[in-house]
Amino acid sequence: MSKALKAIWENVYGLLVDDGSLALGALAAVAIAWLFAAIATDAFEQAGGPLLLVLISALVLANLYTAGRRISRAR
Amino acid sequence: MDLVNLAVAATPSFIASSVEFVEALTIVLAVGTTRGWRAPLVGAALAALTLAVIVAVIGVALVTVVPRHVLQIVVGVLLLLFGLRWLRKAILRYAGIVALHDEDLIYQREVAELRAQGLKKNEWDWVGTLISYKSVLLEGLEVAFIVIAFGAGGAAAMSAAVWGAIAAGVVVIGLGVALKQPLTQVPENTMKFGVGAMLTTFGVFWSAEGLGTEWPGDALSLFGILGVILAISWASVRMLNAMHPSGAQVGARNV
Repeated sequence: MSKALKAIWENVYGLLVDDGSLALGALAAVAIAWLFAAIATDAFEQAGGPLLLVLISALVLANLYTAGRRISRAR
Repeated sequence: MDLVNLAVAATPSFIASSVEFVEALTIVLAVGTTRGWRAPLVGAALAALTLAVIVAVIGVALVTVVPRHVLQIVVGVLLLLFGLRWLRKAILRYAGIVALHDEDLIYQREVAELRAQGLKKNEWDWVGTLISYKSVLLEGLEVAFIVIAFGAGGAAAMSAAVWGAIAAGVVVIGLGVALKQPLTQVPENTMKFGVGAMLTTFGVFWSAEGLGTEWPGDALSLFGILGVILAISWASVRMLNAMHPSGAQVGARNV
């Protein structure tokens, strides 16, 4: 039973997470956007979405740059 | 629900589900052609039944118990994780860092493994049933997740997403039955790239909505978000090409 549960957990986890740093970065981006939306003044309160988009874009670029560098070092 | 919102839920659901159905079909076909059809078809039917129960229980609980803004943020974050995973892998494939997904190679490998395991003629083929059950259940779980994610906008969006997935299933299974071979002509890598971008787009959209942000133009802003994600993806492929002009072809798990 515990073996089956472990297999289910691994499959569900694998469905969502391939690279731990990318997943953690995405969670951090949502947390930053949430903090921003919570403390922003009226003029900027709708900027949470665009901010999240910018953070996710930067995250993708940074993650793939790191992956590229890692491969260069490994060769 | 207007046509734009309907298309926004049904089209990505159709494309994303097609990719998953193609992958499940490859395994069921491999089992069927090497070990006979009864066991894999029973396995696939049992997996479909399991999926129906999972979707009914989780889907009903999500819609009836969880408040809308909590649902938006939960679905948004899950979509973001799910979409970024697909997008990252697709970018690495397009840049030549990871080998392209080859349905024919997967089929041949599965057939060879199944033949090596042998078959006892007078016993029920539990190996065939289990392999088919597992592949349909895992790919089906992804379809269920995709449907719930794209349908998170409400009952009409959910209905559109469900119909998108059903249409994908009918088309892929129909083609599989007609051709009796894996659908290698389906541009799976391009579709996965598109799906990764779409899932990430929806993830950003729903996460921000859940945080209380209203996007300008509401659902129409999805096209703008998608444009940014595609531009970033293109820039990432170019960046990786510049770093590794001759590619790398490393295993997906090693990047």
